[in-house]
Amino acid sequence: MKFREHSMTSDTQAIEVSHLVKQFGAFTAVNDISFSVAVGETFGFLGPNGAGKTTTIRMLTGISPPTSGMATIFGHDIVRDTVAARQSMGIVSETSNVYTDLTGWQNMMLAAQLYRVGRTERDRKATELLQRFELYERRGDRVHGYSKGMMRRLTIAMGLVNSPRLLFLDEPTSGLDVESNLIIRDMISDLIRGGVTVFLTTHNIEEANVLCDRVAIIDKGLIAAIDAPERLKKTIQSVQSIEVSFDRSSPTRLDELRQVPMVNHARKEGDKFKLFTEDPTEVIDGVMAYAHTHNTRVTSITTLGPSLEDVFVKLTGLQRSGGGVTAID
Amino acid sequence: MGFQDRLSRELVAAWAIAKKDVAIYYLRPGTIVGGVLFPLFMFLAFTAGKLGTAMALIPGLIGITTLFSASSIEPVSIPIERRTNTFDRLLSAPISLNALVLGESLSGLLYSVVIALVVFVAALLILATPIANILLIVVGILLSSLCFATMGTLFAAYPTESPGDIISMVNVVRFPLIFISGVFIPIATLPAVGQMIAYVSPLTYANDLIQGGYNGKMTFHPIVDVAMLIVFILIFQLIANYLYKRFSD
Repeated sequence: MKFREHSMTSDTQAIEVSHLVKQFGAFTAVNDISFSVAVGETFGFLGPNGAGKTTTIRMLTGISPPTSGMATIFGHDIVRDTVAARQSMGIVSETSNVYTDLTGWQNMMLAAQLYRVGRTERDRKATELLQRFELYERRGDRVHGYSKGMMRRLTIAMGLVNSPRLLFLDEPTSGLDVESNLIIRDMISDLIRGGVTVFLTTHNIEEANVLCDRVAIIDKGLIAAIDAPERLKKTIQSVQSIEVSFDRSSPTRLDELRQVPMVNHARKEGDKFKLFTEDPTEVIDGVMAYAHTHNTRVTSITTLGPSLEDVFVKLTGLQRSGGGVTAID
Repeated sequence: MGFQDRLSRELVAAWAIAKKDVAIYYLRPGTIVGGVLFPLFMFLAFTAGKLGTAMALIPGLIGITTLFSASSIEPVSIPIERRTNTFDRLLSAPISLNALVLGESLSGLLYSVVIALVVFVAALLILATPIANILLIVVGILLSSLCFATMGTLFAAYPTESPGDIISMVNVVRFPLIFISGVFIPIATLPAVGQMIAYVSPLTYANDLIQGGYNGKMTFHPIVDVAMLIVFILIFQLIANYLYKRFSD
């Protein structure tokens, strides 16, 4: 009976985390978090610097033992059954941890051997992945000659060489060129379509919004919220906004728009202004009146619901700086 | 997963780790200085100091060569891999810590065996050193290389990203071992305390096997030497496992 329960759980849940705690001396990095990730789900993990994201990943991948609580990967306890739990996962760490003194091909072979992929299969898989990531032509070159984007692509290719059922992706597109970014985003979309469970940490909130079925927002070691992006946005409907642009620019416009009735907060985003309010209709009337008074024309005006970034800022209490939020890891 | 399958998996992974180290670290300056030049200079110093003829000092040279070369790879490679985060790749692979420690140690073992063989063959060709029992020399080189490689892996568990930190710690152990293990100074001539310490030095048993292989004179029975070296290997492996687990945070 117990075995049957175990099998059913591992069939439906890729990750199960129960009351996980990690302490470093007196400091609690992760404080009693619980969540589960279903098989085939894409799960985003968002949080500011030091929130506990990396510590959580290190526990889920068996590198760092939890102080208390438990986590299972496809039903395998990550502490007691570490090797079996790891066999079905691929790990792409935040830094491109490739061996720069080895060639791209040697790196792929090493990763495959660590996961005991058979000789024929590893040759086939390495060829397929290097071609997919547009690295095949450079497979014989030492990695220290690769660009940052190429190293990142190789890191991800190494994480996929064992055809994992669960992929941990830690900041996969952070600081990359457009080409690498597109290749990696396409690959993640393909994996999701192929039924691979993805655990994604990213500071690119739009990336999480577009890719993830659910996101968890972690702050100070605690999970502040966990839900589908759209449902999270509905929890803060008070943070609606108006996006407006004018035919002429003015250095004093932002300050002037802040004075429009019912505008709680305003910021400039490129050639547009974003005005936060609880009453969009009132603000639209105010903006039109402002345009008339200042002899300018509104070229576009749009009502926006709260973004995932708004949810993040609200839940973590971060301060906005310029066009975005600061200190998001 | 059966025991045989598990063992095979662990050995494949250990061998992959060792091959990686061979490709990357054998020609690093820190490895060459620690593994080749140190024992060579030590040998020249003892020869110039007229503590024995070059021929008589060859067994000792092979002993300290295994000590220094076997324990010179991991103190360089592991801190570098911590700095580049590639060590996390090994720590998160589906292998046991035993396989990780063994894989790291294997590269030290191979490095040491190759250098010791160079010394052995050179001494044979240039000095025509007589050999009493080649099996003892071979077993001595293999076991001492694995023993000191595992010792190097153990020291490299200290959580630092600087090879210099580990090398300094290893040297605190390596240099005294030369003088209390009968390599150049016979154990019988040591003070009582030195003789007692000699019994807890793996180099004592390694040197005894190699000396016995060259001149037939041994302090211990060969089985005692082999057993003691195996015990040291197991102790170093267990402590290394514990430390890598403890410091993985």
